[in-house]
Amino acid sequence: MSRHDELAEELKARRARVMEMGGEEKLAARKAAGLLDARERIDYIMDADSFAETGMLATSHIPAMRQKSPADGKVCGYGRIEGRPAAIVSCDITTLGASSSLTNVRKMGHLRRTAIRNGMPMIFLNETSGARIPDTMGAQGTGALGQDPEQFVRNREIPYVAACLGPSYGTGTWFTMLSDFVVMRKGACLAVSSPRVTSLAIGEAVELEELGGWKLHTQKTGLVDYAVDSDEEALDLIKRFLSYLPSHAGELPPETEAPDESAYDGAPITDIVPAERQKVYDVRKLIAAIADPDSVFELKPRFGRVATTALTRMGGKVVGVVATNPMFKGGALDPDGCDKITSFLVLCDSFNIPIVMLTDTPGFLIGIEGERRKAPGKIMNFISALQMCSVPKLSIVTRKSYGQAYLNMGGSRNSDEMAAWTTGDVGFMDPNIGVNVLYGVTAESDPQKFEELKAEISRETSAYDLAEIFSAQSVLDPRETRQWLMSMLDVHSRGRERGLSRRALASWPTTF
Amino acid sequence: MAEEKVCSEITGTVWKIEVGLGDKVEEDDVIMILESMKMEIPVLAPCAGTIKELLVDEGSAIAEDQTIAIVNT
Repeated sequence: MSRHDELAEELKARRARVMEMGGEEKLAARKAAGLLDARERIDYIMDADSFAETGMLATSHIPAMRQKSPADGKVCGYGRIEGRPAAIVSCDITTLGASSSLTNVRKMGHLRRTAIRNGMPMIFLNETSGARIPDTMGAQGTGALGQDPEQFVRNREIPYVAACLGPSYGTGTWFTMLSDFVVMRKGACLAVSSPRVTSLAIGEAVELEELGGWKLHTQKTGLVDYAVDSDEEALDLIKRFLSYLPSHAGELPPETEAPDESAYDGAPITDIVPAERQKVYDVRKLIAAIADPDSVFELKPRFGRVATTALTRMGGKVVGVVATNPMFKGGALDPDGCDKITSFLVLCDSFNIPIVMLTDTPGFLIGIEGERRKAPGKIMNFISALQMCSVPKLSIVTRKSYGQAYLNMGGSRNSDEMAAWTTGDVGFMDPNIGVNVLYGVTAESDPQKFEELKAEISRETSAYDLAEIFSAQSVLDPRETRQWLMSMLDVHSRGRERGLSRRALASWPTTF
Repeated sequence: MAEEKVCSEITGTVWKIEVGLGDKVEEDDVIMILESMKMEIPVLAPCAGTIKELLVDEGSAIAEDQTIAIVNT
């Protein structure tokens, strides 16, 4: 055997040891529980034979731990998803709990900087116990951290996506919070610290689901977009999300083949949206009727449901749709709905995705709870974001649109082109409320007077009134919606930037 | 068998109850319709299951977050 062969054998043996991860027993237990291991997850999401690992032979910096820390618990590398490049870090919880250490934080930093410099999305597959003990103990352990002054800066040069596939504490949680899309496996926990550490700190028992379970994060905090039952479903959703995003902010989102336009006659729209204002409907059906077939991908579907935010395609081009949903709270915008829309606007503008707004709202939901939850600040975050968006913005008033909510939803010059359906109804507030506010008359106190005054303040609230002063540029039969949107997207995407955003929102937070 | 509370997201009056005790429901099925803000706003099943209890009647005034039914999952 030549010296080269001997050296090659040693390399082969070292690589084989890394592939064993935390050992046969731990891997078998995972398989029995229906969980993929860190490397199987990479194989599942990346195109076949496309993965190139970086830092494979990195280990703990503590000599006694080197044999026990293959890849130092975080498998990092580059590959392709549907032919497009992506960087990935996949936590190997069988190796020291995939805890964060000096070495694997350096690996992750290198991966992240490489992904940003080369324009490819960054994927975080989290299943980690948090900071490694004892490495980070004491002043020198803690002081050795934080050597990258831009570790937590998010300028959205590239998409970040995260999956919580088990416990996620510390660094795993921080990068999840910086991500544009988050999916969680049911049973996983996303929190600052584990239930055990939290229980010890506050002196009372804490349940995993209560501290950081899927219901909390998909319904109450909105920090997670989707909860799923398996690793495979989580990875499929990441692939789906990325299919709408450009690889980096310097390019437009990927296009698909445009469907046959002769298949659209717009007829379903008038079945979906009742002309009577008191009847509600699910705006998601309307979005599905105007988008390309099977192209609607809703974000945060269980959170802030007064608003629907969805990535879609129209004529094969990616479009972000923001809509109020009368099915929930009548479509009255609450603080969660505002936060959801703001984060979606930031996403769309940062990645060159045109925005379409569909409005049917009685206004902002007013009340003490809303004020306690900073409703005024959230309303201003929302409209500041909208006004700073420099991707094409189109808006349609489908039925009601009152007061400040009219402006927030792209009314007047808050969009590049605005239309109102023939059912449009725009004013300073809902006439039923307005009669009481202005004249102190209610339907109960004086029905006849109430109806007279309501008729008085309901005058000049139609789509035509809006069009006559050119605040709406068009009045549409609802059935013309798709055609109008496609035509206006074409017009407003032709600027000198050719649809590329000026990205004024790129460094805005991911949560509000 | 777990119980899931069905809560109203909004203040209003019960206009119409769409299910009966023992009825099977799927997630997002309409359990009842409230009248609020001059609109007919549905209360939807938070999960699939069977209606175990209906805690309000047609015409009842409902507060935000009030439990209006219980579903056995």
